[in-house]
Parts: sequence; C-alpha cells; structure tokens
Amino acid sequence: MNFLSLIGVEFKKIHRSKILLILLAATVVLWILAILNADLNFKMQTEGIGISPENNFLIQGFLGMTWFMYPASMVVSTVLLTQTERGNKGILKMLALPINTLKLCLAKFTILLALGATQILMMTGMYFISAAIATQTQHYHFMLSPLFVLKEAGLVYLSSIPMLAFFWMTAVCIQTPIFSMGIGLASIVPSVLIINTKAWFSYPMSYPFYVITSEYGKLASNLSAGDIKLVPWIPVAIAFTCLCLTISCLFFGQNERR
Amino acid sequence: MNILLECKKMKKTGFYPAFIAGAILASCLPVINMAVRSELFTGLQQSPLRILLDENWTMMAMLNVLLIISGACIMYHTEYADNAAQKMQTLPIRESGIFFAKFILMIGMSIVVLATEAITFLFCSLHWFHTYDGLYTDLLKNFGYFFILLLPVVLLSLAISSAYSNMWISLGIGVVCVFAATMIASTNHFVLQIFPFALPLQVLTEATDKTVSQFLTASVLELLVIGIAELSFLRIRRALV
Amino acid sequence: MNIIETENLSKTYSGFTAVSKVSLHIPKGTVYGFLGPNGAGKSTTMKMFLGLTKPTSGNFHINGKKYPENRGSILKETGSFIESPAFYGNLTGKENLEIIQKILGLPKSAVSEALELVGLTEFKNRLAKKYSLGMKQRLGLAGALIGKPPILILDEPTNGLDPVGIHEIRTLIRSLPEKYDCTVFVSSHLLSEVELMADNIGILNHGHLLFEGSLEDLKENAAFQGYPTDNLEDTFLAMINEDNQQRSCVR
Repeated sequence: MNFLSLIGVEFKKIHRSKILLILLAATVVLWILAILNADLNFKMQTEGIGISPENNFLIQGFLGMTWFMYPASMVVSTVLLTQTERGNKGILKMLALPINTLKLCLAKFTILLALGATQILMMTGMYFISAAIATQTQHYHFMLSPLFVLKEAGLVYLSSIPMLAFFWMTAVCIQTPIFSMGIGLASIVPSVLIINTKAWFSYPMSYPFYVITSEYGKLASNLSAGDIKLVPWIPVAIAFTCLCLTISCLFFGQNERR
Repeated sequence: MNILLECKKMKKTGFYPAFIAGAILASCLPVINMAVRSELFTGLQQSPLRILLDENWTMMAMLNVLLIISGACIMYHTEYADNAAQKMQTLPIRESGIFFAKFILMIGMSIVVLATEAITFLFCSLHWFHTYDGLYTDLLKNFGYFFILLLPVVLLSLAISSAYSNMWISLGIGVVCVFAATMIASTNHFVLQIFPFALPLQVLTEATDKTVSQFLTASVLELLVIGIAELSFLRIRRALV
Repeated sequence: MNIIETENLSKTYSGFTAVSKVSLHIPKGTVYGFLGPNGAGKSTTMKMFLGLTKPTSGNFHINGKKYPENRGSILKETGSFIESPAFYGNLTGKENLEIIQKILGLPKSAVSEALELVGLTEFKNRLAKKYSLGMKQRLGLAGALIGKPPILILDEPTNGLDPVGIHEIRTLIRSLPEKYDCTVFVSSHLLSEVELMADNIGILNHGHLLFEGSLEDLKENAAFQGYPTDNLEDTFLAMINEDNQQRSCVR
C-alpha cells in the first residue's frame, strides 16, 4: 500500500469525528470576540504603540490563535487520532495488516499536519469575513491585502510543525490519556513567558506565537519585539522535529504488540 | 458511599497523579517568577500577595481550569471506554447520583490543588517579602473566592464530558471555552466575565465589594442552572433511548 | 405464575422495526430460552426490560412491577448481562465486582462468591482490560449473578467461551432455578444450546414471535406443520426459512 492511499485510509477513519466542527468553533469564537472588540483597535494608535487599526485587527486575532487556540486544538486532534485507534482496538487490526508501522505512524502525523493546515485556513477565511464585518460596523477599512495575510498564515503554519511533532510524540508514547493531554495542554501555557527570553528557540511550543509577536513588533513602530534570527532557530527546529518523529515512529504500536 | 466508588473508579487512570502534578506545576510558576525576577517585584508598592497574584494568577488559573477539564474528560472516559456506563444503567442507581458523586470528588481534588497553590503563595510571601498583619486572612479570603468561582467550571466540565462518549469532543469543547475565557478576560463586560470558564480568572484583590458579591452571586446561580440543566439532560437522554 | 410478561411490545427505530408486537410469558422459577438468528431483536427486547431502550408501544411487567414507574425496583431484582464488554478496563475483575456489590448494597462476601461461581477467583486481581475474551464474558456473568437476584437476564452468555466453558456455564444456568429459586431469561442463536438449558422457549425472527411454549410443544407443533422433528436445529432452521420466505413474498 503506498503512502498516499494510506493517508486516504487515515482520513476515512476520522469521518464523523466532528473534529472539523471543533476546529471551526474555535476560530468562530476568536473572530466574534474580535468583531465585538473592533473599536479597541483604534486605541492602539492613541496609546502610542503605533500600529494601524487594520494591522492590529489581524495581529490581535493571530496572537490569540497562536498563543493558545491553535496549539490546544492540535492537542485535541492528537487525542482524536489516538483514541480512534485505541477505542475499539482498531490499532490491533492495523498492526495485523501488511502495513509498515513507520508509514502508518507518519500517515497519522500527516493527518495532524492536515488538520493544522485546515484550522489555519479556516482562521484566514474567517479573518476576511470578520474584517469585512468590522469594516461595516466601524466604518473603517479593516481589510488587508490577501497576499500579506496568507504570508502570515503560512509562516505560522510552518513554524508550528516542530510543535505538532512534539504533540504527536507525547500522544504516541504516553498511553495514559490524561497525561498525554495534560502534558500537551500544560506545555502551551508557559510559552508566554518563554518568548520573552533569549532561549525562545529551544521551546517549539512558542514558535508560532513568537513569529506573530515579532511581526507585531515590525508593524508597530513604537514596539520593540524580538527579531527572528534564523541561525540557531532553523537547525534547532529541524533537529527537534526529526527527533520527535523518530521517537514516535519507534514507539508507535509498541504497547499493543507487547 | 457513591463517592468512594467514584474514587475507586479513578484508580490507575492517572487521575490522582495528574492533579498532584498539575498543582505542583502551577505552584512552580510564582516560585520561578520570584526566583528569576525578585528585584523587580520586591520593589513594588502593593501588598506582596497582590503582587504575586497580579503576576501569576491568570496563568495558574488557566492551568487549573485545563486540569479540571482533562480530569472531567477522564472521569467519563472510564465510564464510556469499555461500556461500563451501560452496566451502571442496569443497576438500581441514578445517573445523576453518579454525576454528583463525580462532582464532589472533583471538588475534593480542586481543594487539594488550590491548597497547594495557597501554600506556595505563603512561601513566596514569607521568603521574598516580609510578613504583615492579615497575610493569612488575605490568603484565605482570596483562595475561598477562587474556590467558589471555580465550582461552576467543575460542574460544567463534568456536564460536557457526560454528554459525549468521545473524549476528544468534550476536550475540544473545553479547550474552546478556555480560549474564549482568555479572550473575555481582557474585556470589561460583566456579562461576558461571568462566563463560567472565565470566572476563575477573577482576582479578589483588585475587586470592589460590590463586584465581589456580584461574581459570587453569579457563581452560585450558574451552579444552580448548570445543575438543573444536567439533571434534565440526563432525564431526557434516558427518555430518548 | 408468570414473572415476566409483555404485551404487544414493539420497538421501532426511524422506519425499521426491531421488535414487533411481541407478547412473552415467562413462568417463575424456570429457564426461558429466547431464540432467534442474529438481528432478530433479542437484544433489543432485553434492553427494553432493563430500561436501556424505551418501547415504542406495548408494555411489560416484571415481578408485578411496571415499567417505567418501577424501573428502580425492577433493576434491584434483576441481574443482567448485556453486550459484553461492559466493565471498567482500568480496574481488576474483583474491583469491578466490588463496585456493583456496593451499588446493590450486598455483603462483601458476594464478590468472592460470584467470582467462584464463574471460575474467575484465580484471575481476580488482573486488570479487566487484560482479560481474555472468555474471562471478560465470565466477568460480565459474575456481574449478573452477584447477590443471587431473583431474575436473570442474560444475552448470549456463552459467546466467546471455549467448549469446556460453554458446558460449565450451561450447567450453571440450568442449576440456578433450583439452587437460588430464580428465573432465567437467556437468549441464544443456537437451538441446540437452548435445548440443553431451557424449560420454555420463544422463537423470534425479524422482530416477530414465531413460537412460544415448551420444547415438547415445539416438537408437536413442528410435526403438525410438517417441519422435520428428529433434529430440533433443523426444525428451527426450517421455521426461520419459511418465515423469511413468507416475508419476501409479502414484500
């Protein structure tokens, strides 16, 4: 069985799981609150941060997403991926079929990547809708160039891959669901503290948040946020991702085979 | 008696260790914060407890809420995973009885968590600041307030978990609610702030007596509403099968 | 005296009738075999008795108690075994039974008695999720038998057991009415099995009750209708086949 059709099979397994609904609900909540608070965007200029309201509208939304909503949704997705297998012992059947477990593990990770991409796309789509609504309610043009928005979304997504690999590793290696969930969720919270330190690149859960914070710094003339220096970051991120994926592939299905 | 049974059901699920670990993790935040940046905080004018709460509570409360949501998910996951819920339905006990026994167990665990955090605050106050008259009453008042505002979250998370046999749905809803709460915390609308998941983010030291009593009333009312809603939900679900 | 009686009991799921106007009569102190092919509606009927699913129409009473008014007291007197597996995987077999024991308010000794009865004593401290299929089945049975309830509702209790286990459980069920003065309502899709345990049988197909009575009645009835009678399994198959054919003709 080739990798692509295996991914197709994995997609089939999450049919009717309502995960898309949950991912969508999170983005809807985010943008509804953003629309309700749209008038706050004008304060930023008067308070001397020096960011235009339309940029602020986008950045605040994306900050909310990268700081908690997106990572937490991804933890939920890993719970979905592991529980659908373990719930009715589906994994045993899978292991008894002539499939390479390494491929199976990576196919599942691909699903996680796809769910992540889906939520970021939903987020971007919802941004355009809510920017249009805010434009109407505030009588101010909130819409930014689609190219710019898509670039930001793409950056967030790419920077989140190491984090996804980490979540996947905890989900695979830790069999007790409350621990894998708990570690995932608990690891998100401290990223607020960590992005203010010099060692932010050593903590993958903070990458997407850091990317957006530094973008915030660029857009706001009076705000100094950390620059992105590619050199320690990219190698560390790649090494971390590879390490997490290797460990998850090694452990995948081990517990069931004992 | 029901409560002891619920305690037994949670054996080997990691429920108890998770709460202990969660309490310790949340307690680490103020200690680390103080250890790293003590000069910054000891120079401030407010009371030590206020400084500590201002700096750490939002994150700690968030960890507490996430812990409660995960705990609630596990509680009902053990019921649904191997069909035990059905066995329970064939026994002469009320589903609502099981639900409220779980609620009480969760309250017990929340007290453990809050107590650990209170002790940490006491330690931080005594170690980095000076002691002062009324520190203990301040601490008790604050954590009593946190406790009451945490109750609706406990009840609502359990209600959500009892409704879905798939754990990721309960967890997903919980996570979306926590997220909404963090967004709400930055606004100043009372109506939004009494959203159950946003309540634990409230801090007593900043509030006037009037808002304190408003939040306490809201919390009690929510407990009633959620409790009644869950009872009717269980009854309706039973009637629909 | 009939301890369980149903009157035109029906259950319809959005357009599909699982149980259709079934009237059962189960005498006290007997073993009643409830027979039918897979999907005939046996489990649905049993679930209705336990309040796990609500009848669309019709009614029933168990030990003089009506559903749904007396659901609680019906459940107190009924030990049930429906759709294994139904247990807490994170607990041992013994702990699972202790939970049931406490809910039913039984003495502690009831747990070890039930374990002994189904032959699980040796494995009582093993986690239920690590049990073999047969052991899970036995654990489910122990959960039904615990406290010796006057009424037992068992849904295919010998599924997944080995021949020795099947024999043991059958002998156990057969002996229950005499030993504990209880009534057993047991379902199966094998007539050969029911034949060995039951005093009375009911045959269900596509939600309809085709026959109810003693084994002798069944033989007489079959001979009268021209079904083979030397082997009851054949009688059963012939009855089901004819019913299926009639159904397809009606359609």
